[in-house]
Amino acid sequence: MLVGRPVRRREDERILRGEARYLDDVERPGVAHVAFVRSAYAHARARVNKNVAGGALLLLTADDLVGVQSLPVQGAEGVELLGPAHPVLARGEVGYVGQPLAAVVAETRALAEDAAELVEVEYEPLEPVLSPRSAPETLLRFARRTDGVDEAFAAAAHVVSERFELPRLVAAPIEARGAIAEAGPDGTLTVWISAQDPHRQRAGLSHVLGLEDDRIRVIVPEVGGAFGSKGVVCPETCATAVAALRLGRPVKWTEDRFENFLAAYQGRGLDADVELALDAEGRFLALRARLYADLGAYLLPTTAIPPHTAALLMTGCYTIPEAEVELVGARTNKVPTGPYRGAGRPEAAVLVEGIVDRAARELGVDRLELRRRNLIASDAFPYATPLGWTYDSGDYERCLDRAVELLGDVEPGGDDVLSGTGFAMYVERAGGLWESAEVRIEAGGRVVVASGSSPHGQGHATAFGQIVADRLGVDAADVEFVFGDSALVPRGVGTFASRSIAVGGSALARALDELQRRMDETGRRPLAEAAGLRAEARFESPLVFSSGCHAAAVEIDRRTGRLTIVRVVAVDDAGRIVNPLLAEGQVLGGVAQALGECLTEEAVVDENGQPRTATFADYSLLTAAEMPPVATAFVETPTPTNPLGAKGIGEGGAIGTLAAVANAVTDALGGRRIAPPYTERKLWAALH
Amino acid sequence: MTSITVTINGTAYEGDVEPRTLLSDFIRHDCGLTGTHVGCEHGVCGACTVQLDGEPIRSCLMLAVQANGRSLTTVEGLARDGELHPLQAAFRECHALQCGFCTPGFLMSIEPALRSGASLEEPAIRELLAGNLCRCTGYRGIVEAVELVLRDP
Ligand code: FES
Ligand code: FES
Repeated sequence: MLVGRPVRRREDERILRGEARYLDDVERPGVAHVAFVRSAYAHARARVNKNVAGGALLLLTADDLVGVQSLPVQGAEGVELLGPAHPVLARGEVGYVGQPLAAVVAETRALAEDAAELVEVEYEPLEPVLSPRSAPETLLRFARRTDGVDEAFAAAAHVVSERFELPRLVAAPIEARGAIAEAGPDGTLTVWISAQDPHRQRAGLSHVLGLEDDRIRVIVPEVGGAFGSKGVVCPETCATAVAALRLGRPVKWTEDRFENFLAAYQGRGLDADVELALDAEGRFLALRARLYADLGAYLLPTTAIPPHTAALLMTGCYTIPEAEVELVGARTNKVPTGPYRGAGRPEAAVLVEGIVDRAARELGVDRLELRRRNLIASDAFPYATPLGWTYDSGDYERCLDRAVELLGDVEPGGDDVLSGTGFAMYVERAGGLWESAEVRIEAGGRVVVASGSSPHGQGHATAFGQIVADRLGVDAADVEFVFGDSALVPRGVGTFASRSIAVGGSALARALDELQRRMDETGRRPLAEAAGLRAEARFESPLVFSSGCHAAAVEIDRRTGRLTIVRVVAVDDAGRIVNPLLAEGQVLGGVAQALGECLTEEAVVDENGQPRTATFADYSLLTAAEMPPVATAFVETPTPTNPLGAKGIGEGGAIGTLAAVANAVTDALGGRRIAPPYTERKLWAALH
Repeated sequence: MTSITVTINGTAYEGDVEPRTLLSDFIRHDCGLTGTHVGCEHGVCGACTVQLDGEPIRSCLMLAVQANGRSLTTVEGLARDGELHPLQAAFRECHALQCGFCTPGFLMSIEPALRSGASLEEPAIRELLAGNLCRCTGYRGIVEAVELVLRDP
């Protein structure tokens, strides 16, 4: 059996030799380059002067986009969508600094950038809206409540409440975004995109351009990270496609880091009030939460998803019989938001685990004991939450026990140090929807797998290869994989929400089982006799819920306010693990992003809505020197909802750690909660 | 346009470049050596690291014309006789890469330190890596890869 073993990655050799091809490495003959004229104001009326600048081949403004739609908007169950969809190019009014106003095409990237700088824009500045609590317009609303919330609060022995704020973050994959579009003589379009999968990009382009999707081919080359931020089509890709159709030449957009900071959708950005009602024995009776999401100026296709997920996870790992959540998706003059690793789940974990710690402190109960009293029991699955989701499986107390054990005893620091520890449980919505896979046997018994799931660093081919090897008895290295090309892979959903193994892997397992059946039926064995046989499967799954418990020990230097994260523990239950090496890699990467969120990361705008964090020098990612020791462990409760028993591990690291550190910092501060990132300046101010 | 000749991985590349052309763009787009990546073009991420006369430099912070007549090594020049360099092999063994976009920069930054024969302990290894950003791995695998290659060169 290879499943369950730490098989080394088959992807690595090409990458290590520098042979992997990312978007900007794709060269097309006769390619021209596009650069964007972007809004200099957060909120203004704007008019582009259409004198084509010297050397430009084409200038596109909103006026030139007749027949081109705004980007599509995807709802989420029960969400009322109120705000405007994101236009490809701004018409008349701009809503955030960096919003594309015009696209300029020239022979080289440098010339396109020169020409874009020469385009004149007349602005009439308007007052920017920056706070989600006081924003006059809403982009979306969502509310859900059970019937007995008010009674439960009225009857409660204790009610605790807390305000939580989480800043906006930038996903910042080291490869920024980009696209190359090329029109065929028959009006078809081929688009290479640095993306999480081809199919959602194609659907988006089809909607925007009014072109049937079978006339668009999307190819996803190797991708230098995404973390949610390359999940759906973006305005710049659409404009690049329009430019290629107009010019009849391939057009390339290679985003630079500055643009990525200004215009790639951001994550998090939440301000919330949470209340918890408890009985005299410390049992949770009811929870109320009002969430103000700082959504930015427009709805992108997936803007609704993270705050909706946060709202529905507000009962966490606990039995809380009554709950009420209200989500206000505020329209602000900032770049729009969308999924960033965790996408609503870290927010929910910070809120739920924060209010539980607060309750423990106010009631004078041990925080671990209070959790144990209220955790959903391991024999209670499937468990229907009051907010309407059904958790499939888990053993929350075992995760908690393991985290306590791994954190071990924490030595108190010296006199100049405030020490704190924190624990956080989490539940992660993962999987869901469907995925596809096709397996065929070619001459000589070579196995070819085409999957609708699409890699960008996770190691799909390695993990999927283990599944194929076990089921067909072949050497994993001999299996060929096809990913990421809408012309070559079956229609799929894509890689997000930690769903590739649970849903994509299960589709593959089903296709392999079907292939075996056909081989038996036709008596064609071994594989060398089976050339020409093929099988396809589509696997549909309800949501699955990974879970875990993270813990952290921290120290704050009283004199400077400097936070040291002494160590972090991550215990995650993602069901059956296909490859523990890769799974741990996902956890460590997620933990590192969460620690960045704790220590340094925050997308900041000034009082005029001008971004103050637009380079890696002012939005700093953690380096190897700043990473504390991280202990990881897995608890494996297999899900009954798919043949692999797998849930999802792509996001857990990013979910639990932020909440654990937030609780540890609050502990060190004696119960006072401040918003991350926990910079020296903020902590010093809190102490003095 | 200025004519330049740069030796990369032992091969001479000639080109006509604008004076403002970055060395990273010359390597990638004029010479077609796309293993060197560009992550920020402002000198922070280290993805564009190559070696100039054996020393690691950020190719996005240098103009192509400044490299005229000099000798560069890029990630494509690391393997010997088709075999992965021990550092490359250690990266695979220790799961030191995910998306791989940062990887060539790390390899080119670390390799000179190995050549110098210095014996490094973990804090020093982490300092050595601190000039390069990786958004995927959390760095542990990279630290372990360096430890492995130091232990077992
Ligand atoms: S691209 Fe040169 S340091 Fe980032
Ligand atoms: S492996 Fe993706 S940035 Fe390092």
